[in-house]
Amino acid sequence: ILTSVSYSLLFAAQRHVLTYMEDAVSQLLENREDISQYGIARFFTEYFNSVRQGTHILFREFSFVQATPHNRASFLRTFWRCFRTVGKNGGKYSSICCYLLTAQEYHCLLQLLCPDFPMELTQKAARIVLMDDAMDCLMSFSDFLFAFQIQFYYSEFLESVAAIYQDLLAGKNPNTVIVPTSSSGQHRQRQPPNDCNPLEGVEASLFYQCLESLCDRSKYSCPPSALVKEMLSSVQRMTFYEFLMALAKDQGINRALGALPDKGDLFLDPAMDQELEKLVAQVSGLSVSGPASSSADTANMPVRNSPRINSPWKPLHHRRKMDAESEGSNEETDSSEN
Amino acid sequence: MVPSKGRPGRGPRAAPAAVNNCGLQLVIQTSSIPEKAKPFEFRINKEQSSFHNRLLQHDLERNYSGRQDNTNFGSSSSITFPVLQRTAEEKILNSDRLTLERQKLTVCPIIDGEDHLRLLNFQHNFITRIQNISNLHHLVFLDLYDNQIEEISGVSTLRSLRVLLLGKNRIKKISNLENLKNLDVLDLHGNQIAKIENISHLSELRVLNLARNLLTVVENLNGLDSLTELNLRHNQVSAIVCVLWFQVGVWPLLDVDTLPCLQRLFLSFNNISSFEDILCLADSSSLSDITLDGNPIAQETWYKHTVLHHMMQLRQLDMKRITEEERRMASIAARKEEERKRESHRQTLLKEKKRLTIGNIARQWEIQQNRTALEASLNKDKENEPCQINGSAAYVFPEESRSLDTILSSAVQGLSVLESHLVEVEGDTLGLYGAGALECLDRNWSVQTAGIIATVSFMFIEFDEIVQVLAKLKTKFPNCVHLKFKETNLVALQQFNALAEMHRMEQLTVDPQGNPVVNLTLWKYYVLFRLNHFNLQKINGVKVTENDILKAERLFGILAYVASSELPHYRMLSLFGESRRKQFHYLLEGKGKKSGVGSEESSDTRRSGGESTARATLNYMTKDFHMEKLEEIKERKTFCQTYIESLVEEAADINMKNESLQKLWPQMFIELVRDAVIEIRNKNSYMKLCLQRIMDQKE
Repeated sequence: ILTSVSYSLLFAAQRHVLTYMEDAVSQLLENREDISQYGIARFFTEYFNSVRQGTHILFREFSFVQATPHNRASFLRTFWRCFRTVGKNGGKYSSICCYLLTAQEYHCLLQLLCPDFPMELTQKAARIVLMDDAMDCLMSFSDFLFAFQIQFYYSEFLESVAAIYQDLLAGKNPNTVIVPTSSSGQHRQRQPPNDCNPLEGVEASLFYQCLESLCDRSKYSCPPSALVKEMLSSVQRMTFYEFLMALAKDQGINRALGALPDKGDLFLDPAMDQELEKLVAQVSGLSVSGPASSSADTANMPVRNSPRINSPWKPLHHRRKMDAESEGSNEETDSSEN
Repeated sequence: MVPSKGRPGRGPRAAPAAVNNCGLQLVIQTSSIPEKAKPFEFRINKEQSSFHNRLLQHDLERNYSGRQDNTNFGSSSSITFPVLQRTAEEKILNSDRLTLERQKLTVCPIIDGEDHLRLLNFQHNFITRIQNISNLHHLVFLDLYDNQIEEISGVSTLRSLRVLLLGKNRIKKISNLENLKNLDVLDLHGNQIAKIENISHLSELRVLNLARNLLTVVENLNGLDSLTELNLRHNQVSAIVCVLWFQVGVWPLLDVDTLPCLQRLFLSFNNISSFEDILCLADSSSLSDITLDGNPIAQETWYKHTVLHHMMQLRQLDMKRITEEERRMASIAARKEEERKRESHRQTLLKEKKRLTIGNIARQWEIQQNRTALEASLNKDKENEPCQINGSAAYVFPEESRSLDTILSSAVQGLSVLESHLVEVEGDTLGLYGAGALECLDRNWSVQTAGIIATVSFMFIEFDEIVQVLAKLKTKFPNCVHLKFKETNLVALQQFNALAEMHRMEQLTVDPQGNPVVNLTLWKYYVLFRLNHFNLQKINGVKVTENDILKAERLFGILAYVASSELPHYRMLSLFGESRRKQFHYLLEGKGKKSGVGSEESSDTRRSGGESTARATLNYMTKDFHMEKLEEIKERKTFCQTYIESLVEEAADINMKNESLQKLWPQMFIELVRDAVIEIRNKNSYMKLCLQRIMDQKE
């Protein structure tokens, strides 16, 4: 019989509470001089507030950014918010054309937020968009973003899927496949050579069965089984990249993930637009009145006084529910719990 | 006496001079004899045709009638020879000379009975072949100027010949002079000779005239031990179209040591273009007179004084006497010239060295880049390896690359002889080539030089290495407003963050060569956004418009906003540098007050060249530094992990105990109460017991 302590530990593990506690202490140690000036209690308040808002991943190292599903979602959301303007087309800002960028350039943008973001992930995301084609192609912001979301958020899941797919292609019984853990990266590079196969891909229903059992066993985030089932039941056969593409395009999964708005609303963010207008007004004011004009900092700083009024992480609670559904309920073991 | 240029008929007049020079006691009256020569009569002797090769002609008839019979002369065919006859008086008058000038002769007449003849003149005739004179053993002077002779022949028996004038003929080759060992003057000007040859035995030769020929090379002059005058000039009267005179570079072949007596050398109108080509002449101690006019070299400003300076022995140059004053001036000018030359030589050397060094740096850079790429591909390959089904194929590549690597490193070693970096100040530009050049920033620069530098250009240096010296750059060259990057491996937008720490910047130039970041669509806008506080005027030479700035703000403004408004305070502090930190603290303290205060303060910030706080959080760490930091983070993380783990364990333990206590406590309490009740149930015995206890205590 589990005691309440074990229950709370289990909860902590699921929510990665320990990860955040560790990180909080780590941050405290790193900035102890500054923090000692304004109080440790205040620091912890601030830290966990920022975790709640999803702003804690800004400019952090990649190992932390990808440490928890919440961090990943927060990063995706931050990326969208910061660079939405890059992909924005027409509308109010018709002066900005819709930039089509290469994987390399998207990677640079990612690195602005996370300096050691690995190129590999960006490339894989680009591969989803370009269906494993030439890598120098230009992509629209929304295509890349949704593909990147799938690749980044479900990174481990996708690796396992690739392994399963490979085995299915080879005709092996996928049920004997041991779910790849972190050491099983060998399958990610060689993507299925599915070009010359007359019957491209693998049988959808069999594929789904494997994925279902994978989701049951996996300790990492998986997309909701119901949505995957729906996706795979509509076709006879499916290739790996078709599957990834479908995942990326599926708005249900996007909603379940909760980090990004629907595709139609991708370029809407009135609150941010408002702030941007202010900034642009300043800059144009500056360029008229010359460099001596002084409003830049003042306009930036007061905003800090009330950052929580329009919280950047509004759909958080909604997301949590979905998250618990998809991820938490059926797996009892976790590496961080011992 | 020296022939002056452009004077026709110089040949015959040059002859007496030559004769005088050799001390030959012959007086040739060129002015009086032509008229007198006309009376000679020639009669064609047809029988002679079959004997024309015979050396002695006994049928030579002397017929001095005073009449002129030119019909015979003119209609003479090639197989008949006129026979010359002179009257006895004529013979006595000019016993040893015979002048047959302008006689329209096409062949040499047979001269009989004139064995004592010492001087023979055939000037201005049409003779094509030297014949019928081989019996004149005493002949000393033979003038065949202005004829049509194509080959030197028929003179091999004339052993006493000292003057041979063959100017203005059609001779192509110097030949058949073997026996003329006493030759003193040889005039071959105005012929078609292309090569100097077969004269090295003429040890008595004093004058050699080869002007107006087709010589391209001066050679085979050895053995001419008595040569005092060598004429190699091109006469302007020449009708020969294609006169190829001395080519550049042939002169070193002229070894003046072989001409120990050479005094006069006429080289006018040749193709000498550099002083080096005639420098060997300076070694000749006998040379006193030289002409070089009409050569390209004579056009040079340094011509006269250079020649004079190097040939101190000269008395005449281009026909003009050299004065002492001239010589003095020349030596001064020449010295100056030499200095200037040395300086320019030094400059060229430096330039060449610079070129080589830059080339070397570029090569090393390339090798380094290749190696990095190689390593990257190797690493990738290693990752790939396990999944490669065909194992043998997987092992081939590392093998190859390893050998390639050794080749590369050996190449580097070979190059390391050359310098691997270069620092150059040119005008207001400081050029740094190669990573080693960055060390120059540690040097002490003069205030003046440092103040002048407005542009710093980096080439073949990793951007990460540049980042580390930016602070130094800022202090050493306070007036630097333009940074140039070429081959610096700028790949990511975030790298531009590093430039924000400069004092000021008006221009930024990022060469697409070796900087892939320039291929990104957004790089300019990001630069404008991030380096907004510099008010950049130009990027890559293109003027920045207001529109650009607005666009940049629209693209990246939100990033700045997010960075400034959503970053927790403690993180913000850690992201700032020291100086920014102070400002930020100040801002924090003033936060409670109204924003009016804030505006004053931020104008302070701006005045001191500060960037907006929002942007300051966007900074760049070099790869190495970042790795270090990650390492640090990792260490700290493991510590935190164990620490939190123990905390959690402790907390769980305490909680467990607490829970157990909560569970046990009611029972314990009940038992306590029950025990107490049982104890005091019998009042008397309890009292006794209590008393007993007190007693015990007292004791």
